[in-house]
Amino acid sequence: MSKTGDDAVPQTDDATRQTDDGDVPLAEGVDHQVAMVMDLNKCIGCQTCTIACKTNWTESGGREYMYWNNVETKPGAGYPRDWEELGGGWDEDGQSRTPGELPDQEDYGRAWDFNHEAIMYEGSDEPLRPMENADWGPNWDEDEGAGEYPNTYYFYLPRICNHCTHPSCVEACPRSAIYKREEDGIVLVDQDRCRGYRYCVEGCPYKKVFYNAQTKTSEKCIFCYPRIEGEGPEGEVRPPSCAEDCPPQLRHVGFLDDEDGPIHKLVNEYEVALRLHPEYRTEPNVYYIPPYAPPQTSESGETVDAERIPRNYLEELFGQQVNEALNTINRERDRVRQGEESELMEILSTVNNDDQYRLEVFDDDG
Amino acid sequence: MTAEDPEAGGGLGTRQLVVAAALALAVVAATAAFPAVVDARAAYEIPVEREASAGDLAEPTGDAWESVETVHVPMSSSGAAVPGGSDTTVESVQVAAARADDRLYVRLSWSDPTANASTDSLRAFADAAAIQLPVSSDSQPPIAMGSTDDRVNVWYWNAADGTESLLAGGAGSTTEIPESTVETSATHTGDRWSVVFTRSLSSDRANVTDIDPDEDVNAAFAVWEGSNEERSGQKAASEWYYLSLGPSEGATPYETVLWAVAGIAVVFTTLVTVEGIRRTRGE
Repeated sequence: MSKTGDDAVPQTDDATRQTDDGDVPLAEGVDHQVAMVMDLNKCIGCQTCTIACKTNWTESGGREYMYWNNVETKPGAGYPRDWEELGGGWDEDGQSRTPGELPDQEDYGRAWDFNHEAIMYEGSDEPLRPMENADWGPNWDEDEGAGEYPNTYYFYLPRICNHCTHPSCVEACPRSAIYKREEDGIVLVDQDRCRGYRYCVEGCPYKKVFYNAQTKTSEKCIFCYPRIEGEGPEGEVRPPSCAEDCPPQLRHVGFLDDEDGPIHKLVNEYEVALRLHPEYRTEPNVYYIPPYAPPQTSESGETVDAERIPRNYLEELFGQQVNEALNTINRERDRVRQGEESELMEILSTVNNDDQYRLEVFDDDG
Repeated sequence: MTAEDPEAGGGLGTRQLVVAAALALAVVAATAAFPAVVDARAAYEIPVEREASAGDLAEPTGDAWESVETVHVPMSSSGAAVPGGSDTTVESVQVAAARADDRLYVRLSWSDPTANASTDSLRAFADAAAIQLPVSSDSQPPIAMGSTDDRVNVWYWNAADGTESLLAGGAGSTTEIPESTVETSATHTGDRWSVVFTRSLSSDRANVTDIDPDEDVNAAFAVWEGSNEERSGQKAASEWYYLSLGPSEGATPYETVLWAVAGIAVVFTTLVTVEGIRRTRGE
């Protein structure tokens, strides 16, 4: 694998597509780049990933409101509420940052107090409910989606930090307290350097950096780096717990520049794994297999030849490339239906964890 | 020169010349002394009052401050390359300084109708103020946090988190110095913050300004308005001033030189004019 300096990286939406000589461009100064592919067709919205992350990293100490991994319903306001409206990222030439806003604390929701005491110990026959006005929280609009019966639609969107190749959070920090680490491109906040300015929170267009009001520093997803370094359970190299604990096993984890790995194939060869909001131009390294819902039905329940999820909505989320990606997936599905082999379908439907998680391929590097 | 001197031409011209010369000399003498009398404080000077004892100097509202001269220091946005770097609200700070018992006391006071003393939620930023000193006490580092070769100490106070002593060698390099000996006391009354910073003049620690009790030391000031989400380089900052600790009283040397040059020019012009009148009269 080779790394490619910034001068060789075109600052466009497809900056990490394969170059002519087969090399995958990475951020300047980064040896390899961790990456994740999430298949949205497999997500059942169970939040096991969310809880796996939370119990590992954000249970207490000012982190109560944080979900480094969250699963939101799309269409929907998301977490924090309306995060797609808050700016951040890069402008069209990819050189100047777009101004971003700090979310309102309320937009993240908060931990409600419930009337457990009254019901459990005081004999109250009230229903179990929050004791204060509860009018917003993560997943408040879960499963609402959009569309008209019988053709309503929604899907789940799991989100973590994208550990971007061109991260605007890193650029936003005047102290270089947030940085992209050399060995694998994971974006981390140096807790000793951070002075709580929150420019990274403003600067991230995905709103995946969080301010901790107790420590007065900002914190974020660390791609479970102790686990991928073999410092996790039983001293084994393990994928991030959001991936490993997922019941439908919808995530692939590995390195973007592992050209024999499934991520490289899905992203760069078949081009079916897409970036969320590529127009933010931070070049995320979390990719999504777009959802293909069943077709629409008539009032009498007959199948109609019309897509359930409007294609323009998917274009809003994943860019124009979503069209070609869905075409490719349809084509390969048809091949399998006709009894032919499809490497793409094998990758997407594997139940072998060794194929899904390839984290030790560069262990022999100096 | 005598009355019989034929050159005297009746004596009038000579007497005029003598009077003129005397007047001119008086002007020279007066101009040299003039600024010390009328304008006791030089530009960019923060006089440091010597007090026999500290009394209540450590308190922002202490009576001891009543006899200490206050300097009006204008400030403007630092212009740092951060979002909103030129959007600041505080336009000036009142600075007073005193010394007692080998300690330096500096009081900053500025108008701020909103006391922002919390950083407990995402959009909450605290009011703050700072005094910047050169690490090398006889130096004047670049105003924006110094440079790698010419570093600065910053005495930093924040309404939410208290006091820090910082070291910086250029923008973005600010680092806390552990076990700071800088102390502060702050009060917000009548729409104003008043904050007293105090520290012993001398220091034997590396990277901490050792203030010579007999030498002037440069100082610059900054204020952050929390309600305007000011933090980092988004701050109102002054130019370099100097804390007047040295022995010189009154005018600075360059002012004395300027006044002396002006005085000599007055003498020269007077003499030339008198001589011109004499020649015109044919004396």
